[in-house]
Amino acid sequence: MKTNNLLLTVLTLSFAGASVAQGKPLSYVGGTMAMQENDETGHTISLDYTFTPTEAFGLYVKQEENGKEILMITPQINTLLKRWNLPDGQGNIFNMSGAGIANYRANTQPALWTAFLADYESRRWFLSYEPRLVWDGDIEKSFWQRARVGIAPYLANYDQLNTWFMIQVDHHPAKHDHFVATPLIRLFYKEYLFEVGYSSNKHIMINWTVQF
Amino acid sequence: MRYYLTIIITLAFSAVASADTIHAKVNGMVCGFCATGIEKTFKAQPEVARVKVDLQNKLVTVSTKQGQTLDDAKLKKLIANAGYSVVSVDHSK
Repeated sequence: MKTNNLLLTVLTLSFAGASVAQGKPLSYVGGTMAMQENDETGHTISLDYTFTPTEAFGLYVKQEENGKEILMITPQINTLLKRWNLPDGQGNIFNMSGAGIANYRANTQPALWTAFLADYESRRWFLSYEPRLVWDGDIEKSFWQRARVGIAPYLANYDQLNTWFMIQVDHHPAKHDHFVATPLIRLFYKEYLFEVGYSSNKHIMINWTVQF
Repeated sequence: MRYYLTIIITLAFSAVASADTIHAKVNGMVCGFCATGIEKTFKAQPEVARVKVDLQNKLVTVSTKQGQTLDDAKLKKLIANAGYSVVSVDHSK
């Protein structure tokens, strides 16, 4: 497990050195997005490069901490399945899928995961729902789902600091706490996004994203 | 004669050297990442001098370099590549 932690630390530092959030899994064509999530489920780092208007390719690394300490490393592909560009908002349905390896106590297994993300965002409101299926060979098979609701207390323009109050609810049937609620604050400035929250099972959430 | 020649040369030169300012009304543009994507996409174009994104008015304003233009088809494609839809385009010199 020390090896896993060391690997995760090295990856974290290397990505942090490149630059940072928690947004859509696609940016603009030619754009790269680095994202790190630290929450009650563990630590996740991903780096995605958008190569068409509907597809991004990247690397996904997750160190689970709730229950088994599983390290998962997979290349991933993110696909925009449907987008609605509306006068005052945008709705999307994405699929994110990865295939790679998972490690738990010297047991390395093939790993597969797939998730769908449905979201709607206006300058005032944010809604999202994400179900995720994970298969780590004989280590673990799990289903997890996450929903978010957010409101912006004021409407900021691009070159101003955007602030959001959000609540995230996670449901992971394999865990002790079946439903975990995390109130959080999202701060957004140009290509930088930062989130901090505190979950109902007493874990600090710190997420960041950078688009470059 | 010299007077008319001066006018003709001035007009011809200004037509060649003038820059284009394009105002595009865009749907779906709601957040800072949207604006970043559009800004970076346009800044990478050789004919573009400046780009400004106004989330409140859903407006992207692109100024081209002197003597260069950006046609509507390319503008729409660039905005689509960034993930958004153009509703209308207006040009001004």
